[in-house]
Amino acid sequence: MDSILLEPSLYMIKAIALLDNDGNRMLAKYYDNTFPTVKEQKAFEKNLFNKTHRANAEIIMLDGVTCVYRSSVDLFFYVMGSSHENELILVSVLNCLYDSVSQILRKNVEKRSLLDNLDIIMLALDEICDGGILLEADPSSVVQRVALRTDDIPLGEQTVAQVFQSAREQLKWSLLK
Amino acid sequence: LLLNLGATGNPFHNLEKTTVLQEARMFNETPVNPRKCTHILTKILYLINQGEYLGTSEATEAFFAITKLFQSKDVMLRRLVYLGIKDLSTTAEDVIIVTSSLTKDMTGKEDLYRAAAIRALCKITDSTMLQAIERYMKQAIVDKIHAVSSAALVSSLHLMKTSPEVVKRWVNEAQEAVNGDNIMVQYHAFGLLYHIRKTDRLAVSKLVAKFTRMVLKSPYAVCMLIRIACKVMEEEGTSLDNPLFDFIECCLRHKSEMVIYEAAHAIVNLKQTTSRELAPAVSVLQLFCSSPKPTLRFAAVRTLNKIAMTHPAAVTACNLDLENLITDVNRSIATLAITTLLKTGSESSVDR
Repeated sequence: MDSILLEPSLYMIKAIALLDNDGNRMLAKYYDNTFPTVKEQKAFEKNLFNKTHRANAEIIMLDGVTCVYRSSVDLFFYVMGSSHENELILVSVLNCLYDSVSQILRKNVEKRSLLDNLDIIMLALDEICDGGILLEADPSSVVQRVALRTDDIPLGEQTVAQVFQSAREQLKWSLLK
Repeated sequence: LLLNLGATGNPFHNLEKTTVLQEARMFNETPVNPRKCTHILTKILYLINQGEYLGTSEATEAFFAITKLFQSKDVMLRRLVYLGIKDLSTTAEDVIIVTSSLTKDMTGKEDLYRAAAIRALCKITDSTMLQAIERYMKQAIVDKIHAVSSAALVSSLHLMKTSPEVVKRWVNEAQEAVNGDNIMVQYHAFGLLYHIRKTDRLAVSKLVAKFTRMVLKSPYAVCMLIRIACKVMEEEGTSLDNPLFDFIECCLRHKSEMVIYEAAHAIVNLKQTTSRELAPAVSVLQLFCSSPKPTLRFAAVRTLNKIAMTHPAAVTACNLDLENLITDVNRSIATLAITTLLKTGSESSVDR
């Protein structure tokens, strides 16, 4: 059997991309030399978009790369890995990316809202993957680490501890009055 | 907001590189205006992300302007400064100028700075400077804040490329981190331990023997361990009647689908695998074929297709499941199902 045992390595993410509904790059990070120039990267993104924007099928093999993807309104999220990579690991990265963005944008996962919060989204992307290594797979940890002020998060998404903390603070102030 | 809304409704559309770089002169003003500077820095980062080319002098000028923003205490702005440092570190000159500012943030009180500062610092550090921050790196690896520990471990791994001798001295700290209860920290620590030892066959064997006996909490670490176990078995040419194979087979009953699939994939791809060892792996792949998750069906049918090339008889039990996948909405899955059936199925099943 032509064995394709995976070389054990923490470097497993080739690229992460967010495209709009015309296939234009919103944000993209390439972590290895599969597509060494910007021109090749953008050609790959166009091709990827053409092959995926109508088929909501979650996974595709393209140019020898395994791509898992999700979309929402006018945004497309992609995570790329080697064609021998464990697809379920790639999906866990994709889900973390999507859920982090969704929490940051308070469920308005669309281009307009993304552009309004581009700075935080860039930080979130940086918290999920560091140079091709999966850094954090839990969306709530990612959101917590991107310096999003806690008063910006709707109550339903605050942790119990945060709610207690703010309740305690309010009580303290009412006693001091 | 005075944003220039282009035809696409994208305020970042058609940004002029020279204009944006000129706006960056505002970074020199004191006191820093966090809101305006955040917006300008975001535009610079966006341009770089779009693949805009900055020449050495442009990059260096932008880099030095960004360093002025260290004066501001605004958390968001500081975090974007780290991103700017990382993005420009390969093109700008004299980037080591920010070493002391980053070292200060790495060892400071603000936890939101520490992890990100470590990652930026390690990006601009060379072997000689690394010795100067070695003490802090060792402390960070065993820090109780998970983000700090993970940042230090992952950065150490990147540094293995340029300063392997220094990083090898941090093995005790990595050992301590691997025993922690955070799944990402454990994964990163385990990965670093392996990368430190990977050229020493005996050390790798010991590492694998140790971790297959204890329980790693992180499913990511278990997947990595399965890969290392396979490598050791292939290199040593051991028979499948050994504890490493038992461990992999045991992972077929793990609670995480990611690990179950990794184990099945490993068994299928091991050279010595016979139909006897294949049976339990085929059973889990068969279950995955009817999963509502497309990726799980894809992974299963792709692996079954692999088995069909050498052991077609082992896959016949799944023929009915594969037939159902011929009409799958995902065309890759449908195609793989057909090609697999062509190797295993009788003509009647293809007709159906």
